[in-house]
Amino acid sequence: MSEVELTRERVEDALFRAGYWLLFGIVMLPIVVVFATSFQQGEYLTFPPEGVSLRWYAQFFASAEWLSAVRDSVVIGVGAAVLSTALGVTGSLAVQRSDSTLARVLPPVILLPLLLPPVVIGLTLLIYFNRVGFGSTYLTIVIAHALWATPLVFFVMQSVFARFDWDLRDAGMDLGARPSRVFYHVVLPNVRSGVVISAVVAFIVSLQEFIMALFLKSYEVQTVPVLAWTSLQSSLTPLVSVVSAFLVGVSILGVLVSAALMNIEWLAEQL
Amino acid sequence: MASVTLSGLRKEYGDLTAVDGLSLDVDDGELLCLLGPSGCGKSTTLRMLGGLETPTDGDVHIGGEPVTDQPPYERNTSMVFQSWALFPHKTVLENVAFGLKMDGVSEDERRERAREMLDVVEMGGFEDHDPTDLSGGQKQRVALARSLAIEPDVLLLDEPLSNLDKRLREQMQLELRNIHDAVETTFVHVTHDQNEAFTLADSIAIMNDGQIEQVGAPREVYDDPVSLFIEEFLGDTNLIEATVTETTETGVVADVALGTAVELPTGDASVAVGDDLTVSFRPEELDVERADAAADGSPSITGEITDVLYRGSTVRFYVESAGEYLFFEQSVGADSDFAVGDAVTVSWDPADLLAFAADGDRVGGGGA
Repeated sequence: MSEVELTRERVEDALFRAGYWLLFGIVMLPIVVVFATSFQQGEYLTFPPEGVSLRWYAQFFASAEWLSAVRDSVVIGVGAAVLSTALGVTGSLAVQRSDSTLARVLPPVILLPLLLPPVVIGLTLLIYFNRVGFGSTYLTIVIAHALWATPLVFFVMQSVFARFDWDLRDAGMDLGARPSRVFYHVVLPNVRSGVVISAVVAFIVSLQEFIMALFLKSYEVQTVPVLAWTSLQSSLTPLVSVVSAFLVGVSILGVLVSAALMNIEWLAEQL
Repeated sequence: MASVTLSGLRKEYGDLTAVDGLSLDVDDGELLCLLGPSGCGKSTTLRMLGGLETPTDGDVHIGGEPVTDQPPYERNTSMVFQSWALFPHKTVLENVAFGLKMDGVSEDERRERAREMLDVVEMGGFEDHDPTDLSGGQKQRVALARSLAIEPDVLLLDEPLSNLDKRLREQMQLELRNIHDAVETTFVHVTHDQNEAFTLADSIAIMNDGQIEQVGAPREVYDDPVSLFIEEFLGDTNLIEATVTETTETGVVADVALGTAVELPTGDASVAVGDDLTVSFRPEELDVERADAAADGSPSITGEITDVLYRGSTVRFYVESAGEYLFFEQSVGADSDFAVGDAVTVSWDPADLLAFAADGDRVGGGGA
């Protein structure tokens, strides 16, 4: 290889590195700002922060209002994850290896809720649930969030099932297992990581969602982003950074826990 | 153990007809090979037998019982898949015990029976292995044990040997034969490999284009093929064009493109002067001598050796006559040592020739 080519390769290499560090920086910047400002000492949200303290964290964890919002968010997140995973996994399973009309129509239809502005969905659901007299705020927000999370679960599972060896299903049925037992004994163990990842994605989507949750909130039940918005309207204190840091933290924790669960399973298989 | 009857079986996928009105009987305890080229519908037929595909039309009977509408988990058939389809997250023992578990057999008993089955296929000692760590031949044995463990009425084998190398494949063919003799279950074995079918089968059913062309004992099918398709599919042969010039009491006389007239003992088959035929000169039926050797009166042609191909244990010689080529084979070490340029006389017994009409159907009786 000539000198010129070597130099050129080095330059290209450096540009490439610069490219992905820039991308990394852009992605990380908001998180860094949020975490940095959450340790702010003063009364107002400024960047760079002045002084370091945990006073806003203390205030957050001492506030009954915030803690109840955290509880609501987690309950709704888990509910939305369970509902959308159940719907998305079974829906995707149903259209596998089928050439029926329903199997062809379902994938594009299931995408529709993602194409509608959340403002429209939120408002529509609010009117609808009021009219039918649907009481539970938990359930209405869970359903709203499942509308968004189910298509995501569905498409994650579509790609997971695309890599599944369907001869295994046939072998299971051939050996006398009814479809439900084939699913439990043969299909599920092979796609478990996909299902866990889908559930985590659904949980995080629900945790972060704001607009539908704002429309559907009640006095008793409101999620963390909704409370953050209402408290922001009165004052811009570093408390909102603490809340954001908390949401990011919970999301990361969710990913770590699911990774750990899968690793434990993997570890158990090795022993 | 059970007999199998397929009647008028059809399977369509949209515009494509995979299986087109197929009827077939398999006797109780028989090992039938469903032989045919890729895409002829043999695997689809097997899957319909196992209930993994629903026929568009026609019926499946197993042991005299109609099972056409029974799902696979209610049929007592069991399939060994081409990919073996071992459950990757279960141990070898759990794989073999799976069918028994689904049948509600107690844990101790199913482990015991799975162990016995693993011994039958000589995989004892591999109980706790992960199937993904096994070699192809070992996976094949485990898949066989898993299918046999449920004591199926009919064992279905979907080219399970096609992913193995030649030596292992031949060994497994013999073992499969032995296992069949031991378990006395009806086997339906799908393959595209005619040697495998001849080695294994009690009976061969040859498929083409979604239909059965011929069913019979291996020897019978080989000696008496009913169509040009079967003649071509079963082995290498010399197919030479011919035109009928005369009909006689015992058959016809045809001008063969080798530049000679040949008598074909086609009986009173409906062949007319001017009809085009294809005549098969099987290489093993040809007698070849140097052109200067004394003729024994058999019909013959004289030609020149143009090519000599070494094919391992045999040597294949090509003889040219009137612009057409005939090949014949000799074992390496046979002392004739023909060489390129040698003039030879190729002769045959007319009774060994097989003639086929333009539509591919066999004309009259032949060898046998």
